[in-house]
Amino acid sequence: MKPLNPFALTVSVPPHRHCGTTVRDRMLTILVAMLPAAVMASMTFGMPAIRVMALSMATAVLAEMACDYFMDRETDVNDFHAFTVGLSFAFLLPASAPWWLVAFGSAASIVLGKMAFGPLGGSPFCAPLVGWAICRISWPSFMDIDASMLGMDLTYPLAQLKNFGLDAVQITDTRQLFLGKQLGGLGAIQIAGVLLGGMLLVMRKHVSSIIPVGVIGGVALTAFLFNWIDPSMYASPAFHLLTGSTLFGAFFLATDGPSSPNRQIPMLLFGLLVGALIVIIRIYGIYPDGVPFAILLANLFTPALERIRPKPFGRR
Amino acid sequence: MNTRSTHTATAELTLNRHCPLVTCGQKIERGERIATASDPGMGDIHAPFPGSVEHVDPYRIRIAREGGETVDPAILHDLGGQELLARLRELGADLPAREQVDILILNGVDEEPGLLSRRTLLAEKLETLRTGASALVRGYKPAEVTLAVPGGVKESLPDIAVKVVSDQYPQGLDPLVAKAVTGQEAPDNTLVVGLETVFHAGMVMETGLPVMETMVTVDNSARLISLGSPVGEILTSDGLTIHDGDRIVLGGVLRGTAAASPSQGVDRATTAVSLIRNPTPVAMDAACVGCGECVRRCPARLDPAMITSYAEFGQYEKAEAEAVDVCFECGLCGFFCIARRPMLQYIRLAKHELAKAKAQSGEETQP
Repeated sequence: MKPLNPFALTVSVPPHRHCGTTVRDRMLTILVAMLPAAVMASMTFGMPAIRVMALSMATAVLAEMACDYFMDRETDVNDFHAFTVGLSFAFLLPASAPWWLVAFGSAASIVLGKMAFGPLGGSPFCAPLVGWAICRISWPSFMDIDASMLGMDLTYPLAQLKNFGLDAVQITDTRQLFLGKQLGGLGAIQIAGVLLGGMLLVMRKHVSSIIPVGVIGGVALTAFLFNWIDPSMYASPAFHLLTGSTLFGAFFLATDGPSSPNRQIPMLLFGLLVGALIVIIRIYGIYPDGVPFAILLANLFTPALERIRPKPFGRR
Repeated sequence: MNTRSTHTATAELTLNRHCPLVTCGQKIERGERIATASDPGMGDIHAPFPGSVEHVDPYRIRIAREGGETVDPAILHDLGGQELLARLRELGADLPAREQVDILILNGVDEEPGLLSRRTLLAEKLETLRTGASALVRGYKPAEVTLAVPGGVKESLPDIAVKVVSDQYPQGLDPLVAKAVTGQEAPDNTLVVGLETVFHAGMVMETGLPVMETMVTVDNSARLISLGSPVGEILTSDGLTIHDGDRIVLGGVLRGTAAASPSQGVDRATTAVSLIRNPTPVAMDAACVGCGECVRRCPARLDPAMITSYAEFGQYEKAEAEAVDVCFECGLCGFFCIARRPMLQYIRLAKHELAKAKAQSGEETQP
């Protein structure tokens, strides 16, 4: 008999190498991508914005840990997904949101948007939007950006458009809009920061460019059609793209993995659908910013869009 | 070429659905048949050197080297058709069983990045390949024969068309090579044979002796290594030290098998032996996170996320409805899976369970 070897080999199934990206890397990159907008938000709104973002992230993490504890499951908070959900939810809130609203919405995002559907990957809806929708419908006055931000000298262009028509919109300078000199979700309206982060995600290939392109194309196309019908009544495509959470939704919310389609053509259709719904809700709906509801509605179409698929290799 | 011959004291021959024909302690000659294949497309296994059988179990036969004779060469020159193919399989060439072959493709593209064995065979063993190719043509009687090579290869075989195929992974895999040559996905009556099998057949035709060595990539070169050589010894004689937790991979990193022990031997399908120093396993027991990377990368246009999720929960019929049988196991889904799921293992599990269910229900006798 030969002596036993002084080492034990690792035995595993192929592949024996990996591209190196993990869920944790992806979530960390998303957080880094959200950083510019978060910094701009703290510069614009000061401490209240930091308070909302910190509280939202902390509640999301604690809610996930509590769910894991009660479900008797090993917790996955170290993959940072709860942080991204918390921060995305905070990005959609007014900076003046009361603490209980932030905590409730953030916890609802995690519990009803993610944990109720099992671990990460099961959720049919983009998680932060679930919390946002619950809060928006339950406490409309606290979620109403115009009413809750009376102390600021900035204006909410989408509400002006909704309530008083195109002529009443005070900020028409796209440069002002681009730099976030408007009211809206505290992070979502930091257009320059959001765009920078979105570019980072697309360039690092953490997010496929198809959905953002689809959303932006859908908004631009639909807004252009309305604008072409009556320019005195309907806002221009640039206005719709640079106000509210359009770009934030395009890069960060609509691209959420489990709730969006996975193949190229369904992804493009999904993006176009989101874009068209944004403009339609803004024009005909009662909500000034249609982005969250547009994405939630499009999420419902994901299973149907997924049925558009090529034939497998060699099948005729 | 590196001509260092490996003279190992023992050889371990891996049995892959083979029935052992020898018992412990039995004296065997060089080239003696020690196991028969129970799969119709597989070759038998022969002793690479004379010696005595040290160990036999359903998975391996180990032989200790001793002095002895070589078996008499077989006479193959008057054979043709299925008879020749059957005889070649008996002598250890893994020739797929096919009734009718219209297009025969000899795949000279190394399947994975980093593998050099087929390129080296083309550069150095052209004469043997020629003999092997003509034997295959006599055996399968195809209407057309094509040699698929990567770009930059000048060698060719007489009377055989050459088709340059991209060697960008996974383009060198058999189904994609068949598509590149015929322009059709999964064409009928088309057989793709790897160049190492052509080489094995060529050696058998030249010497009349069974297959006893194969071209293996070790480090950055490929050399002929006798079958059954322990992989651990191949690596240590190359100057590498194996540490705790390393893995020895037979074949490429995307599709290869991890060796169970350093004494596991090289088999005919081994194209490379490499050492991967990586303490943590690549795959983990994790749920799908729905990112869609695998779906967008799959060259067979499948939905690996759904297939593996079905396999994970034993719903194999649903995996079948998702066309799991189309998968040609390139391993890209597992390479790109951000949740690090063992994608290929789940796919193989589903295929295996479906084949077993079919065999049991008697619809098909072949797996």
